[in-house]
Amino acid sequence: MADRQEIITRHTLAWLLLVNIAVLAPLHDKMTHWTLAICSICFVWRVGIFSAKVARPPRYLVTLLALASAATVALVTSQIGILNGLINLLILGYALKYIEMRDRRDVRAVVMVGFFLIAITFIEKYSLWFTLQLTLVATLNLAVLLSLYRENEAMVHTAKRATQLLLQSVPLALLLFIVLPRFPPLWLVPNANNVTTGLADTVSLGDINQLTRSPALAFRVSFDNEPPQHQQRYWRALVMEHYDGKSWTPSAAIKQLEANPSQAKAAQRQRPVGQALQYHVIAEPSHQHWLFGLDLAYSPSDGVINLPDGRLYAISSVEQQYQYSVASYTEASLDSQLSEAQIQGNLQLPARSNPKTLALAERFKQSYPDPQQRMAAMMRYFNESPYYYTLQPPPVGPQQIDDFLFENQAGFCVHYASALAFMARQTGIPARLVTGYQGGEWNQSAQYLSVYQYMAHAWVEAWLPNHGWTRFDPTAMIAPERVEQGFDAFFNPADSYLQERPFSSLRLRQYPLLNQFRLSIASIDYYWSKWVLGFDNQRQQQLLKRLLGDVDSTKLAILIICTMALIGVAIAYSVGLLQFQRQPDRLKAGFDAITALLAKKGLPRETDEPPQRYAQRVATHLPTLAVPLQRYIDCYMALKYQPHSSSERQALQQQITRYRRQLRLAILSLDGRQATR
Amino acid sequence: MQQAKAGLKPYQGWWQHWLSRRLPAQSPITLAHKSIFILPSAFGLFWLGVVILLFLFGTNYQNNLVIGLALLLLSIFNTCIIYSYRNLAGLTLNAAQGPAVYAGEDVLYPVELTAKQAQHQIQLRYGNNAPLSAARADDKKQRLLLPFTNQGRGWIHPGRLTVETHYPLGLCRAWSVVDLANRQLVFAAPKAVMTPLSQQAAHAHEQAHLKGSLVAGVEEFNTLKPYVSGESPNQIAWKQLAQGRGMLTKSFGEPVSAPTWLILNAQHPDIEQHLSELTWTVDTLWQTQQVFGLQLPMLTIAPNSGAAHRLQCLTALAVYPEVPNAVSSGSPPVMFHTKEPSQTQANAATPEKPTSSQEQHNG
Repeated sequence: MADRQEIITRHTLAWLLLVNIAVLAPLHDKMTHWTLAICSICFVWRVGIFSAKVARPPRYLVTLLALASAATVALVTSQIGILNGLINLLILGYALKYIEMRDRRDVRAVVMVGFFLIAITFIEKYSLWFTLQLTLVATLNLAVLLSLYRENEAMVHTAKRATQLLLQSVPLALLLFIVLPRFPPLWLVPNANNVTTGLADTVSLGDINQLTRSPALAFRVSFDNEPPQHQQRYWRALVMEHYDGKSWTPSAAIKQLEANPSQAKAAQRQRPVGQALQYHVIAEPSHQHWLFGLDLAYSPSDGVINLPDGRLYAISSVEQQYQYSVASYTEASLDSQLSEAQIQGNLQLPARSNPKTLALAERFKQSYPDPQQRMAAMMRYFNESPYYYTLQPPPVGPQQIDDFLFENQAGFCVHYASALAFMARQTGIPARLVTGYQGGEWNQSAQYLSVYQYMAHAWVEAWLPNHGWTRFDPTAMIAPERVEQGFDAFFNPADSYLQERPFSSLRLRQYPLLNQFRLSIASIDYYWSKWVLGFDNQRQQQLLKRLLGDVDSTKLAILIICTMALIGVAIAYSVGLLQFQRQPDRLKAGFDAITALLAKKGLPRETDEPPQRYAQRVATHLPTLAVPLQRYIDCYMALKYQPHSSSERQALQQQITRYRRQLRLAILSLDGRQATR
Repeated sequence: MQQAKAGLKPYQGWWQHWLSRRLPAQSPITLAHKSIFILPSAFGLFWLGVVILLFLFGTNYQNNLVIGLALLLLSIFNTCIIYSYRNLAGLTLNAAQGPAVYAGEDVLYPVELTAKQAQHQIQLRYGNNAPLSAARADDKKQRLLLPFTNQGRGWIHPGRLTVETHYPLGLCRAWSVVDLANRQLVFAAPKAVMTPLSQQAAHAHEQAHLKGSLVAGVEEFNTLKPYVSGESPNQIAWKQLAQGRGMLTKSFGEPVSAPTWLILNAQHPDIEQHLSELTWTVDTLWQTQQVFGLQLPMLTIAPNSGAAHRLQCLTALAVYPEVPNAVSSGSPPVMFHTKEPSQTQANAATPEKPTSSQEQHNG
């Protein structure tokens, strides 16, 4: 039906061109090449229609594009994963609907799919900056709908109206955001096949090197009390108990537990007793399961498994920022008793490897029969020998540890930790490699600790009778500053983690003022993560308690209803529904102020004296006032007694305000001599 | 008074009854909370569906921003309800008198719109007739001519006017159904009479071609015309010239013979056919400027000529069997339906007395 109502105006077409780009641009990294090509064809065709170069697309073109779309999605879904496949399908649907749009109904469909695409963008782009950008896109999408009803209006005005509509809707949305309860996921959803970031579950000599070059954020921590000292900040993530001569991997038992989260959940540790360090972690998406904690860490959060080796493990992989609370029992000993299998597992070494290292270990064993003293002696060995800490170590051969200890004598944390664990095991002390992060940058204004990927670290845990697993970090012997003051104290950032990232904000650290600015931005981002992205039922309770004191449901319901009513009234007022009849009063008040001023000058207005006659009387006494007063009185009479259209009234009101100011100045600038005359 | 009430279901009857109590007929009428109804449109329901979908999506991915977007869309829906209300509240509808038409033609009901604040995309329609939309209504009065398909004659009341808007996003339909008490006179559909006029006339006359017609003469004052140079100074309307109304000439008519009488036969087997024929005859006689009178069972209109007389006769025929003054409590039509627009204007300018039919009836 070609009803006049159903025609898409040029105004709307222009908006659609704009919104197409705005919606699809943030998704560019999700689109396959074919999707991008089809979207481009559709967009170019629409530009053609808009500039009246081409007509509506022929049937065969649309069919062809649809077939191409279906083929692309079918072909690439296996490569890019179900979620990305669905996203591409939605994008293609958006593009196809866009090209064959005929009436208003189609425009509405395009707008609604647009909103869905915005939501999809939010899955991976959730920073404050992206949120603002996507809010702008949502506004443009609204403007498309609005343009259907405001046909002949400048785009600027439509945009203004859409913004106004959006802003008027924000308070209620905010209220609902705060009070609406959050639910756990209702069913399992597909996740994008993303490249994992951060630590890997296999470490060989040379691996952490790659991490060390990344200035990306790994996680942030806020402490309930004082943060621990720099040298205490060992964030455990993975425990490697198996060494095959080439690389360290977690033990088979732990791997099996990790593979069966329900089994792991059932077998998880009890909460230890004793003094605990309480803190909250916001982990950045790593697309992996391991979480971070200090020493013996216990997390009461849902979705976190407390593994038997003192680590924390997320039930579902960390696809978005993930928040959890931790209590670390720094004084408690980890595994005061070990089973025979555990002892054997942590003494295991590949047969016939690294003979020189074996011989060195034998010497330590003979000189220091006490395990604790032996470990201390080995640590001293690293300190006293001419070892060199470097991020670019020379390559090692098949006898890795021999090559490192006796040939190269240069390496980084993994090298030293591997060597120490190897020697400890050879001398009969159960030992294992632990990877995680060491250190953290303290943000003073927002009171939290940022841990970056380049802070990735590896160290050794050795099991000592009566002490349990004890941390030994040989790197601290070679480069104590690395541990005591942090990575940045030892390495020049420009040579390590910033080498391949010319635009990282961490470069600003050299300039105190700009660094302050960087930290402020980081603080805002932190609060955004904490209070918006991580707003859950717990934070909700916290916030409501802070706002209302003790919350009960009646109090909450009353508050919600009152706020909603208030918001409704505010919107009604802002759209011009409620008028509080202030205009006439203001007019009268202005006039009264003028007469009061004139009365002070000795010319009070008599009761019932018409304004016109009063003006003439004043003018005869004070001729300098004649012109401004007459102007003002004329305007006053016109506003008070003549009918006007709203636009005329508005113009007059502006005019009278100006006249009144001028008149007031004129009266005030009269000198006393004139007034008493 | 006729009103299309065919096919009303019981609940519609109840609805109409409720409406007539809540929104009694009145003109002008200003829309306010009492008269505005708001419900989500089909698109609005779709929008709410998308809100629910996004909420589930956000919950499943545990993404607060998606949940936030869903809540924002929900909140926008809420804002739109207020906007829709505002887009009708304060709108004043005033029924004006429209041109009289014949039965079978679309009746045009003029409605004047004014609004205190600018309002947009307001649609108006009567029943199932084609809607008219006002892109913008503001304090400047604008007139819309709303079509209404009609077959009957007499005073036609179009029923309730539907005023609706989907502004600003099409999420909500705000509407009102107002009765503007704006009936309009519809003449019976004219049907040409095959039998010669002379046979209808009560009195035959030898000068058939001149019978009842008005020829230019000096006896009866007829009308004022613009002065054409060369006309007799005796005929110049000096009084009107002195009043500053310009040079006018008094024209005088002279009835040639006894007037024609048109008589309604109440026992006619097809009374509607009869009324249609009489309507045609009145128009024909008026166009040939003849003097004629009309006799109905309850009413007699004395012989006369001119536009006012024609209107009087056609009104009497349109409302038959009722008597015009008994029903014409409102002001009679001021415009005439003719094929020539220029003539319409000329006729519209002719002032007439609202009480003329009453006087006739009494006389």
